[in-house]
Amino acid sequence: MVTVDKLEELNLEPEVPELDLSWLNLDTEWGVSAEPGRKGLTLQQINKSLYGEIPATSADSSARPRGAAPPEGATPRMTPWVLGDATETFSDSAALLYDEAVSRQWSSATDIPWDTMDELPEDIERAMVQLCTSLTEVEFIAGDVPGKWLPRIAADHYESGLFLMSQVMDEARHTDVFRKRALANGGGLLLQGGGGGLRQIIEAEDFTQMSSMLHILGEGFVQSLFRLGELIAHNEAEKRIFRLAAQDESRHVAYGVTHLKYTLDNDPDKAEEVHWTLDMFENTLVDPDQQNPGLAGALVYLLGDGDVDEGWRLFWHVRRKQVLEYLHRLDVAGLSGRLESGRLHPSLSGALDN
Amino acid sequence: MPDSDVIAAAKTRLEESGLPSDWLDIPVHWGVKAKEQATPESGGLRFEYLNVDVYGEVPEHWDNNTEIPRGAVPDTRTEQMGYSIFSKAEVWSDLCAGLYEDAIADRWNSSADIPWDTLAPVGSDLEHAVCQIATLISEYGWTKAQTTGRWLQEISYGYIEVKLFLGTVVFDSARLYEVWRKRALSNGGGLGRGGRNWKFLPLTQSYTFSEFCVASIMHDAMLISLLRHGHRLAQTEAERRIYELCEQDIERHLKYFVDHMRYLMLKEPVRREEIHRYMNKAEWYLAKDGDDTLYSALGVILGDGREGAEEAMADVAQLRREQIETYLGYLRQCHLGDREGRLNEELRKWAGMVELEEEEKIPV
Repeated sequence: MVTVDKLEELNLEPEVPELDLSWLNLDTEWGVSAEPGRKGLTLQQINKSLYGEIPATSADSSARPRGAAPPEGATPRMTPWVLGDATETFSDSAALLYDEAVSRQWSSATDIPWDTMDELPEDIERAMVQLCTSLTEVEFIAGDVPGKWLPRIAADHYESGLFLMSQVMDEARHTDVFRKRALANGGGLLLQGGGGGLRQIIEAEDFTQMSSMLHILGEGFVQSLFRLGELIAHNEAEKRIFRLAAQDESRHVAYGVTHLKYTLDNDPDKAEEVHWTLDMFENTLVDPDQQNPGLAGALVYLLGDGDVDEGWRLFWHVRRKQVLEYLHRLDVAGLSGRLESGRLHPSLSGALDN
Repeated sequence: MPDSDVIAAAKTRLEESGLPSDWLDIPVHWGVKAKEQATPESGGLRFEYLNVDVYGEVPEHWDNNTEIPRGAVPDTRTEQMGYSIFSKAEVWSDLCAGLYEDAIADRWNSSADIPWDTLAPVGSDLEHAVCQIATLISEYGWTKAQTTGRWLQEISYGYIEVKLFLGTVVFDSARLYEVWRKRALSNGGGLGRGGRNWKFLPLTQSYTFSEFCVASIMHDAMLISLLRHGHRLAQTEAERRIYELCEQDIERHLKYFVDHMRYLMLKEPVRREEIHRYMNKAEWYLAKDGDDTLYSALGVILGDGREGAEEAMADVAQLRREQIETYLGYLRQCHLGDREGRLNEELRKWAGMVELEEEEKIPV
């Protein structure tokens, strides 16, 4: 066995790497400059000339940055398969949304005024921690899903990859902040949810189908709820949590909508597939067996501040808003007509009558 | 009204309205008030402060394959979610929760926190060299984010702290990718040549999380040694800042990977030889990759142009030696100091270490 002493005694000069200057004469685009603007040097500012051209298809499964010269010699396949067709993952807004995500990161430790949480009546505290138990659970899956898809994003479509990486971070913070709220004020974690369609999101094997469920319907509903957080919150800390989380969710929803729009603009045949996915997911969302028995009760209870009748009234107000915003997002994405054609699940279309 | 009466009244109101009220009966571990530790001096409400009572009990084996939060009451109807890691030894480090909060506190923005206006023309050879290095680091950032991200769907909620921290690694790696891309495309240059990247296969192919961790230690150690030379390599204040901020992130990642491997060696010493196998593979790919583009670009920078590059390669060799020594140093911290005597023979040459006797060479 070689000992450390022996190594020191026999220390040699390190081998000198071979000098190869062939990379000084590449056929890549040269002379590119970018000036920082009002928000600094954003992705949009460097996405110019050849480097800003998004290939409609990419067969490159390596990590080579878009626009770089290919290496000399054999290269390995880095992932079994990539989603090489831009219609599968791309969004025209991905770069902008990533830039925004980076500039709007927040800290659940220091940006929430935890000291504004006074002791709440036990029924209200229980309802709030039940809601937070469900939310930390939902956000946990929302972070797993983009992680699953990352190895399949083509480096040529890096904007979508970066956006999904920022979403992983956002969802970690949401998982964290709702767990913090549950454990911050004398309560604790309560009852796990009954699934609520989370499994359908994680098991999807088509990116656009997954995104329609996660970003447009799932996170869309959550965002509509968070934007009405003022109705649920009992102190400044809770208001802040909902406000900041809603801001993050807006980006995720925007990515889903713009991705679907890009897909349908370039591959209109995909529409029926997405409709079918939404048929299935809407059905799961309203299936009583999939519902968290605690979530609806806790939400109604909080909305009415203990007055269940008033809570129900506000619950239907929230649900109506969720459905209207969902339909609007589909319209923007180019998938209109679910309500008019009777395809929207009756439990959701019924919410519009309330 | 006493609390029990408040709850009973709440149950009645919910039931009369047709809503389930069982959740109000759950025997909750009442009285946890993490907010009391949230002071500005203590860094606010950090995740570490939540780990009290049952909520802080991290089990050696987690037996629930759903997304149930640790400490919540299970709903046995919930579908299994396909997680595969249920062993604390496979992922754990006591540092996770703190490192997660540190990552958020240390967050930076490549658009606004780099003084891009300090970039200035540096001459064609130097610009080519900086852009070549930027291209290769960017590639590693992409690979690191993708390969770290794929483990999220494997790790169960029992080890939530690990997953939160890995979320920051994914995000930091995204920034590693884009800040170097920005550097390449902002100063009159462009992207260089991509790497062959056989060396990254141990990251993409890993079957166990600990296998991924040792490969990450090797690649992160190689990168951080380079970043630590930022003061010599940077041509402008903007680059100096990029080197510093990236170093800070990679240092944090290494703290986790190293502490986790130390934990694994302590808990499951029987896996030592298995871990050495993974290191054999990672080192072999690194050595065999034979892509000297990085080192040649460093030679051009340290030689202040292609004319001085040949002479500067001796300096580059020292830097490459430091990379291997740094890697071995991190392994010593993991109680894997015996690696020094088993290091891949090609890497031994990089480090100027004596060659192994024939019978000590590791077959791959």
